[in-house]
Amino acid sequence: MLSRSAFTLWRMIHAVAMYVVVGLALWMIFVYVPSEKGQGLVQRIFYFHVSSTFTMSLAGLVAFVASIIYLWKKAPRWDNIAMSAVEIGTLFCALVLITGSIWARPIWGVWWTWDPPLTLTLVLWLIYVAYLMLRANVQDDTKRARFAAVLAIVGGVDIFLIYLSIRMWRTLHPKPIVIQEGGTTGLPPSMFWTLMVCFVAFLLLFFYLLRERVFLAQSRHDLEIIRQEIDDTLKG
Amino acid sequence: MKNFWYLFAAYTIVWSFIFAYIVNLTRKNNALREELHDLQLYLEKIVSKKEAPQ
Repeated sequence: MLSRSAFTLWRMIHAVAMYVVVGLALWMIFVYVPSEKGQGLVQRIFYFHVSSTFTMSLAGLVAFVASIIYLWKKAPRWDNIAMSAVEIGTLFCALVLITGSIWARPIWGVWWTWDPPLTLTLVLWLIYVAYLMLRANVQDDTKRARFAAVLAIVGGVDIFLIYLSIRMWRTLHPKPIVIQEGGTTGLPPSMFWTLMVCFVAFLLLFFYLLRERVFLAQSRHDLEIIRQEIDDTLKG
Repeated sequence: MKNFWYLFAAYTIVWSFIFAYIVNLTRKNNALREELHDLQLYLEKIVSKKEAPQ
């Protein structure tokens, strides 16, 4: 375990690294990388749209694994991690849907189409909203955590289906170009490296948000314990 | 500068959402930390009162 001062130092290093890499990502998107010939300026949405998808998937994966471990070990810590990851996943899923829709309007001519990857992403967002509503409305702690874990696992399966739908079905959504079959990239080097920097920026942002959210959940748990102790002391 | 407003809208929305979430999280964390600290002090106070000789 880290000592308190080492933890504070680590938080500071993480925050500084996050600001630097986010700044670098913005500079690369708006200054360094050239505009794509076919789509022009609006193609630059790609960098944050794909990075948001990456973060959404990472959050979904963390929630999926933490929920399985919770159902297995029944330790509240894993429920806190799963809940925090789902909350962050909901935010980034909303960003994926919004940026995708804004990008689709000038390129496809529509704000929305019932294409399988888009529909499955909307379903994922609805699953996560249902997860958060369930947590807000079920009073029994054990039941709430168990039902929520099942929903997070269903969300994880949905993320797998989104990736499968992009690769397997003929859809309006473009096929993966960052890493294609055979491990090569379909992007020119400047676009590829800009996207990689965006990935790192979003990765740092994700772990920053996850740590803060888990800390919040843990503090709420500690608060309940202290309240209980106060009640017991006053009664006894 | 064709389609500039779509790009502007997308980036504004992304950063507004992330910024709002961080502010909300920080505000809640600070409030809980204060409440936790106050309750710990209160608990110590009532425990020491009970343990003090009558």
